[in-house]
Formats: sequence, C-alpha cells, structure tokens
Amino acid sequence: MSIATKLRRIRKTPPEGWDLIEPTLEEFEAKMREAETDPHEGKRKTETLWPVFRIHHQRSRYVYDLYYKKEAISKELYQFCLDAKLIDGQLIAKWKKQGFENLCCLRCIQTRDTNFGTNCICRVPKSKLDAERVIECVHCGCRGCSG
Amino acid sequence: MFSYSETSIRIAQIILFLVFISIWVKQRGFKMSMSMSSYNYNRKTWEDSEFPILCETCLGNNPYMRMVKDKFGAECKICERPFTCFRWQPGKGARYKKTELCQTCAKIKNVCQTCMFDLEFGLPVQVRDHALQITDDLPKEGVNRDYFVQNQERMLSHTDGTTPGGALANIGTDTTSAGYEYLKRIARTTPYYKRNAPHICSFFVKGECKRGEECPYRHEKPTDPDDPLSNQNMRDRYYGNNDPVAEKILNRAKAMPSLQPPDDKSVTTLYVGGLGPDGTINEKDLRDFFYQYGEIRTLNVLGVKGCAFVTYTTRESAEMAAERSFNRINIKNRRLTIRWGIPQAQKGATGSEGRPINPVPSLPTTSFPVPESLRPTGVKRPSDSPFVAPPSKLVVPSVAPKAGRGGDDAGGSRIYYPSQDPQRLGAKGDVLEED
Repeated sequence: MSIATKLRRIRKTPPEGWDLIEPTLEEFEAKMREAETDPHEGKRKTETLWPVFRIHHQRSRYVYDLYYKKEAISKELYQFCLDAKLIDGQLIAKWKKQGFENLCCLRCIQTRDTNFGTNCICRVPKSKLDAERVIECVHCGCRGCSG
Repeated sequence: MFSYSETSIRIAQIILFLVFISIWVKQRGFKMSMSMSSYNYNRKTWEDSEFPILCETCLGNNPYMRMVKDKFGAECKICERPFTCFRWQPGKGARYKKTELCQTCAKIKNVCQTCMFDLEFGLPVQVRDHALQITDDLPKEGVNRDYFVQNQERMLSHTDGTTPGGALANIGTDTTSAGYEYLKRIARTTPYYKRNAPHICSFFVKGECKRGEECPYRHEKPTDPDDPLSNQNMRDRYYGNNDPVAEKILNRAKAMPSLQPPDDKSVTTLYVGGLGPDGTINEKDLRDFFYQYGEIRTLNVLGVKGCAFVTYTTRESAEMAAERSFNRINIKNRRLTIRWGIPQAQKGATGSEGRPINPVPSLPTTSFPVPESLRPTGVKRPSDSPFVAPPSKLVVPSVAPKAGRGGDDAGGSRIYYPSQDPQRLGAKGDVLEED
C-alpha cells in the first residue's frame, strides 16, 4: 500500500514536520515495492521474504530513532505514523524492552511457531554460540540481534 | 545375544523430550485396506511406538537431546506401512537423522531403524549373516511380504519386545561361537560419529553454492562415482545382498593380520604397547582388563616407554588374552597393541624388563621357599639369583609391597604376606599345573 493510500485512509492531515520525514518514507516504500516484485528464481524458499522483513525493520527503526533517540520529531507526528500504520507499533513496543533493543522481527520471538517452544537462533547471544559458526535465521535472514 | 541392552542403557541416559507434533497424516494413495478406520481382519497395521530402536552411533554423542515424534509420519522403506517416525540431531554439527524402517522390520533383522546396521555389532546385515551363517530369504514384494511381516509382528508381540524376530530368533545365543568372535573382532569398539556428518552440498559440487559459510551442508569434494561405496541403497543393505559396505568390511577382515602364538610353550607373557604418556593408563586399568582372561602372575608397566608386560599363570589364559585383545583392546580410548613377549630366560638374568623384584623383608635372602614336591618338573630354573628373574613357570607373586603402602617394610618390622594382601585378587602364589 502506497503512502498516499495510507494517508487517504487515515483521513487526517499530517502534523508539523511531516515533509521532513516524507521523502525517506517514500524511499523505503519504493524499496519495498522493489523487494516485492523481485523475482524469486535462484533463491531458497525461506530467502524470498527476507528483504521485505529487512525493509520493514529499517522503516520502523528510522521513525523510532527520530522520536526516541534523536527526539527530532514531535509526539503528534510519531503518533500519526503509528495510526497510519506507516511503522510497526508492535515491533517498536518490543524495542522498548530490555534485551529486545535490536529485535529483527516479531516472528523470531514467536515461540508458539517452533517445535520445542524456543526463540529463533538469531535471539541467542553471540557469547552463547560457537564463535566460528555463522548463522542466518530462516524467518528474516537475521544474523543475530541479541548482543 | 541379540539384545537391545545398549540401546536400553542409552534410553536411561537420555533426557528425552518427545514433542508430539500433530501433523495431518495425508492419505498417500494407500490401498483401501490401509485406511485407519476401515476394519479388515487381514489389514496391515499402522505402527505406533514410543521410542525408536537405534544404535549408539545414530543417537550421537550428546546425552541430552530432543527428538520429534511424528505419529504415522513416514512410510517404512521396506514394508511400506506407515510408522511412527522420529527425528533428532545426533550431536553438534551433525545432520538431522530420522528413522527409516518400522520397528517390526528393524526387529526382524535386529538392525537400527535408521542406519540399518546390526544393533549388536554395528555391522552390515550381510557381514553378520555371513559370519553367523544365517540364510533367510524373506519375501520382498507385494502380498507375500505383507503376510510375512504380519506373521512376524504377531510373533514379536508375544515377546517382551527386546528380542529379534526372523531367522535370528531361531539361532542360539552362543556368544562363544566362532562367528560371534569374528564379528566382535571386526566390529568397531567406539561409535563412529563421522557417519552423522552432513551430506555433501550438491550446489558446491556444481560450483554454485552461494551460501558460503552458513551452508549447513558439507563443502567437500564428492566421492568418486566409480567407487562402489557411492552406490548404496537401503533395500540391499537391509536384505544383506550386494552391499558394498559389507564387501569392503569382509575384504578388510580377510586382510587383517592375526597374532600367532610362539612355539615356545613356556611363553605366557604379552607385550602391551601404546599406553601413551606416563600415567595415562595405569596398572589398575590393565589389570582390570587382563584379569578376565585368567590369573595374572605379574604385570609390569614401563611408564616411560609406554608399554607393559602381562604374564599369565597359564598358557591358555595368555593365548586367550592374545586372541581376544589383539587389534581389539581399547582402554580409555586408546587402541593398544598386543604382541607376544620375549621369554625372560632369553633376555638374561638381568631383569631388564623393568621393575626389579624386591626381596621380601624379614626373610633370609635365599630363594622363595617352594616345596620340592610342588615344583613343576622339567622346568629348568634360568638363574640362581632368585630375585632378579623368577623362573618362568614358578609363580612368584610380585611380593614387593606397593610404595603406597609404605612404611611397613621400611623397618622390616612386619612381614609382607602376599596371601594376606586384600589387594591381590585371588593370587596366592600357586604353582602352575603342568599342561
């Protein structure tokens, strides 16, 4: 869904500062569109969705950082992005928790989806893994998001 | 003989988390009689089981493992019935393995459900059947096979579930038979975990694997396609014909050297080499192993040289020890070499084989008192010096008390009686009977 459609759906005028973040969000949207139309030939079944997950993460991260870290945008604008579903509120909710500051995606902590009720391999801290082992999780291609 | 004892011990060791995954069992085009619900008095049963029948190698080296149980999750590769499939990772860096045979088929041949090697020896069925002279031509196709499996299953249901069926049930459990000994000799002494390694990456072979480091498959040169070992299949291994692995093992066994006992019948000493650095394998380890073949007269460990000499009281014990331990003995994960020792008489009276035998304290420095009547006839004593080299047939126990029990002999206040030493198992300094 393009940004214009999302704005039309929410039926609100964007608050102050929207024109500052709009070009970047448009850029993310274009990238997402590219990832969606990318051919799947030569990719593994699991690999096809990885770019979508990555762009989704980056987009939410961008707005999250602007509001919570740099404090560059207003609360109204942040709330507007959430309401318009331009960013993932549930993912950001996890980032506020200790230990989940860099969480890659929500699927990786969904324990009900696994055989033994465990988190994804990317949630295992590097110190607990073999040093030489390279991991890439099947859900989103994350190489470790837990320090 | 063909028990699942190893497996059952292993079961006790494992903390096993069986996760029940409800997977929709698809109707895979089975016949009508294969349907669970339809009752047909001659129908094939769907096998449900609680625990797989596996060999030590397939279970892997990790005592803590998780297994996934999938009820009726696979088709038996032999009888083509649905059975309860188990899937697990046998240790770190291994590929996931799963059971391929149903338990009935595994019990008929007494094989592992995954690797189809014999449970007792870890050898291919062909090798085992060759050694034990088992000939069973089971029906391999269609209704004949189904009927056979059905009958076997009925027979197995009368047992406690730990005995094999088929032709193996009919032969005795003679563990001392030549075939059994042969199998024990060529079997591996430790599990062979290399068998659990991941398969070779087929993309890497073509030169187009893009996964690089994180590829879970092995990036290695493939085996030669002309090698018969690269052309194996499950059914041949199960039925024990045209198995290239079996061919290889049998050929290797033929070329295996054997240890010829020396002509000199008075030799009862075995050389044990490859003990490794000093202290790795101590006298107790060796004594514990070699005691099973007969009474040990002396056991000298030369820690610096990494070898030991074991002298038995009887020739039979020595021969049995040599035969049973040659190429087989494995203590603390070290494969030891066994050879016949050189008779002490030929080595001279210097006692060069290591620890000198100390005189018994508080005894006159004459020969060890053995009554003339008990002295074996026809044995010439090699030396007049009794303490350096005891006569080969006269049982002179290693009378020197161990240094650990020190103090006793220092002042010569107490006499050390070998017969009263509880550490000396059974050795009373008896005189050998002439053979």
